[in-house]
Amino acid sequence: MRVLVTGAATPLGTAIIDHLLRARDVEAVLAVDREPARLCDRVEVRAVDLRHARALHDLLWGEARDHAITTIVHVDTRSAAVTRELVVACSEHPTIQRFVYRSFGSVYATSTQNIVAEDAPLDFRPHAPAWLRERLEADLAVCAHPGGRLAIAVLRCAEVFAAGCGSALWQYLSSRACLRPIGFDPMVNLLSLADAARAFVAAVAVPAVGVFNIPGLDTLPLSRAIAESVRPNIPVPRARRPPIGPLLDGRRAREAFGYVPRTPVQWPRPWWRRLIDELTNAEAETKTL
Amino acid sequence: MDSETFQRIARQAPFNDAGHGFDVFGLHPPALATAATWAAPLYERYFRVESKGAERIPSCGPAILVANHSGVLPVDAAMLCLDILRRTQPPRIPRPIADHFVPRLPIVSTAFARWGVVGGARANAQHLLESGELLVIWPEGTSGPAKRFRDRYQLQHWSVGFAELAIRYGAPVLPVAILGAEESWPLAAKTLRVRPFGAPYWPIPYVPLPLPTHYRIQYGAPIQLDRDHVAADADDPHVVAAAAERVRAALQQLVTDQRNARRGWFR
Repeated sequence: MRVLVTGAATPLGTAIIDHLLRARDVEAVLAVDREPARLCDRVEVRAVDLRHARALHDLLWGEARDHAITTIVHVDTRSAAVTRELVVACSEHPTIQRFVYRSFGSVYATSTQNIVAEDAPLDFRPHAPAWLRERLEADLAVCAHPGGRLAIAVLRCAEVFAAGCGSALWQYLSSRACLRPIGFDPMVNLLSLADAARAFVAAVAVPAVGVFNIPGLDTLPLSRAIAESVRPNIPVPRARRPPIGPLLDGRRAREAFGYVPRTPVQWPRPWWRRLIDELTNAEAETKTL
Repeated sequence: MDSETFQRIARQAPFNDAGHGFDVFGLHPPALATAATWAAPLYERYFRVESKGAERIPSCGPAILVANHSGVLPVDAAMLCLDILRRTQPPRIPRPIADHFVPRLPIVSTAFARWGVVGGARANAQHLLESGELLVIWPEGTSGPAKRFRDRYQLQHWSVGFAELAIRYGAPVLPVAILGAEESWPLAAKTLRVRPFGAPYWPIPYVPLPLPTHYRIQYGAPIQLDRDHVAADADDPHVVAAAAERVRAALQQLVTDQRNARRGWFR
């Protein structure tokens, strides 16, 4: 299996490549992002701006064909237009047979207190925020594609709790103070970077087609998540609804490619705890010397 | 309820912990035990709840309790849930299914979620049954509390979703008759113009607070709908409607029998 990963320099792309390199049946990994980077000795990220049609064509009918790439893992979800062009191009490609796309659980239209399966309705509200409409458009572009001989899997992930992963909840919990509507404390489900990467590698390994929800291991009330993030929790009347996706039902992913969340998220540590850890480590190093 | 019983609910009641002391819907056993402690005087002294047949509740595995519904606010639901908690060993945490508007209510939605109440979505009920939980469903929905006093103890509009779930997941259905709630807090009128947070109406009761009527809870014999049907029958609306009607008839009979057997509203 020879895999091309877009968005390779993002934390999620890097984690996926790290897992792919450890997988037995992966022969080669081609990493692509808008900016060049060097992940490790074995992988160098090619700088390709997929927003330009010529660059996309040259990548697929040049390097990807030369390397006989069989699978695309599309993590660079910043542009719906790129996703649409990419999936169409892949369906006409001579060697690419599998397309795994990273989507978001926030595309579902539902109350946060409900568990949603893959057949739940999507959020088509006309007044939805632009970032959500972009995600929905990209998701629909991939889901609506007939596929043909291209086996398409769409992974609708819970909020990946890490910087640079496109998580609105991460940004909310990283703000100076977390305002939440008074009287509401919904449950949130968080996906760790390691679990997200494992899900993609598992999806790459099997020819399962369709939409799959990828939930995380941590499910807790929003107030507890704010406390774990060491942020002030300020309930206010008429506050904007925090960017919380629904609770995802992960049965389909478990049955199709054996994905079960295992790794808890890494909570940000406060300065005093970081200081204690550093002092403890320094003391341990001194004793070792 | 003493501290020993509090510990029994908070520590011994099995639940599916999602990793932080809460289940995926927000159930928090210590919060439920605290609420049960505070509500104990209402259960023991105010409504003097008397129940029979609780031994019919399965000690484990999926099951659906189907009850009649009445009163301005769901006091009958609270008393039923308390009764289940107190009369099962180890305590089984009931998972009441609430109407769609309940999760939109501020404060109430959060409190209900901590006590095990779940929004009325099909996927939620399926998830709970697959996890082997005890569902409590009022198929009358809001039409039960909204009925006129002269229609008391007559089952109203009957939803059939519970029968589909019972057939699909092989869960036994226990009809549960609740007496006393109809007279405790009867509805005088309802306004359809004032509908806060998507509620179907705003209730206007005859009395500002519930009267101390004598509550009686009777658990009926389990009905195994899956014995007469296979799981594929859950997709047939005629089969599901017939199964739901069977449960409705059993519950109506149970309610009527209990009503005829009681001596009065307050005794």
